[in-house]
Amino acid sequence: MSTKSQEKQLITLKSWDEEEFVVEESVAVKSETIKNIIEDCGLELIPLPNVDGKTLAKVIEYCTKHSTGSNDDSEDLKKFDDEFLDSKEIPVLIDIVLAANYLNIESLVEKICTKIADRIKDMSVEEVREAFKIENDFTPEEEKKIRNEHAWAFE
Amino acid sequence: MESLPDAIVQYILSHMSNAKDVASCTSVSTRWKDSMPYLRSLYFPRNIFDNLKGVETPDRIVRQIISQIFQLEELVVYCPFSGAGLCSWLSIAGPSLRNLELRMDNLVDQHSCNDSPSKLDCISAAGNLESLKLWGVLMTKSPKWDSFKKLRNLEIVGARLEDPALSDALRACPNLTHLLLLGCEGLRSVSIELLQLEQCKLDFYGVGNCSLSLTSPKLEYLEVQGCSWIRVHETQCLRNLSIANNSGRVYMVDFGKLVALESLSVRGVQWCWDAISKILQMASEVKNLYMKVEFTGDFEALLPFPEVDFVEFFNSHPKLQKLDIHGAMFAALCQKNSLKNVDSRFVIPSLEEVVITVRSPLNAEQKMSTLESMIKYGRNLKKMGIKILQMKSSHSSADDFFEDVCRFRYMNRKVVSIE
Repeated sequence: MSTKSQEKQLITLKSWDEEEFVVEESVAVKSETIKNIIEDCGLELIPLPNVDGKTLAKVIEYCTKHSTGSNDDSEDLKKFDDEFLDSKEIPVLIDIVLAANYLNIESLVEKICTKIADRIKDMSVEEVREAFKIENDFTPEEEKKIRNEHAWAFE
Repeated sequence: MESLPDAIVQYILSHMSNAKDVASCTSVSTRWKDSMPYLRSLYFPRNIFDNLKGVETPDRIVRQIISQIFQLEELVVYCPFSGAGLCSWLSIAGPSLRNLELRMDNLVDQHSCNDSPSKLDCISAAGNLESLKLWGVLMTKSPKWDSFKKLRNLEIVGARLEDPALSDALRACPNLTHLLLLGCEGLRSVSIELLQLEQCKLDFYGVGNCSLSLTSPKLEYLEVQGCSWIRVHETQCLRNLSIANNSGRVYMVDFGKLVALESLSVRGVQWCWDAISKILQMASEVKNLYMKVEFTGDFEALLPFPEVDFVEFFNSHPKLQKLDIHGAMFAALCQKNSLKNVDSRFVIPSLEEVVITVRSPLNAEQKMSTLESMIKYGRNLKKMGIKILQMKSSHSSADDFFEDVCRFRYMNRKVVSIE
């Protein structure tokens, strides 16, 4: 496709809140969605109406680190992944997983889901609701029934 | 989380398999509760039901959770359960299950045998299993298994078995590729014919006089402990072989050609000379060799090894890269046909790493000479580790030997290290 194989192709990504990020094509195509857009339309400026600037910055951080060419199993990468995920609260992780899902970055979606599941394990029902901003939509009778059924789980 | 698509919610929840987490998640919201049926894997730890109150039983609770799942693929149960319970679970989840792991606890359970359906028999209901792991199994009667055509992996850990029961069980798993029998007692004569088997690890408790006959032409990895008589004829794919016997004598090993063998480990208290010399001879292509047999001898008497000529040994294993050799066997290596008379072209071409464990200062001169020869003729030797164990230092010869070793290390600092 590109005849300028020596130069690194640069792509601009634009979030819905007008923030622009210039990245190398090799980083951008970590996202299957972006890869398809480039292949189909050859755009150099890609608008991403479903992602805000702050979240896009973090996604780009992940993709950049994971396109250095080194093995996905390397110690460095694992360490980066752990720090990247551990340092973020659940609401932030949720924003990132939504973006990664829209951008179709499978490895990132998988890692975040695993991390969120890990965090939930140690949380009480109320804590989970708060972290995910979920409303308790059970009726009092329904909730009582469920708690009774699984009384052994609520020690 | 309201904005998260259902698929992501389910994906997150599918990473939870501990039943306790699953149960508490069902009460977060209706959407979470409605995602439960999409779980694929459930795990019930040992003590999950330790605090049960009232009329609830583990059997019933597990059943209730399983009944809410559409397609359970993996079930791991470490908590106590009954045969009737297992039957009821598998009547729901049996057909979709791919992995099943159960702590049977049959070895301690007194009243397991008679009334309720046997736990082993119940497993038949999971006809599409690909992996089955059982802990603490009593298999003295043949389990009533039809055929687990998709079963690839079978692991039984901690079991009391009988020869015919094991035979029948294995006959029901014709397509096994991985077999693990660990800590199994009660077996005397084991005959295994599994044409797809690639990896096999067997560990038999007892007096170490089990006999094993194995026919698996695709076998690549074999580890056996506790047998005195071993026959494996189809060995064209075998790359890794480990034979050990901690309590008995290895009397006979009858193997096909070991053309592909890269690693060999021989261990035990006593091997008949015939057995050990034969297997070493056949393993001419090995790259890694681990030798820790303490005595030889065909009968009760524990005898030291006859001398093994250093040059002959290395000439018959020209591809040897890593050698780990202990005590008695190391002591037997010597320059029977003195190296002064040996072809000046003698080399140990591939040897890179040697670990030697010594326990006794006897024949110190011969041992030092062997060490020196290894360095002299091992032109690719990068590392030599010398472990000195349990040497009784009351003898002055021990101190002398140790001094010799230290001097040797000093003179070959780049290569030699002592532990």
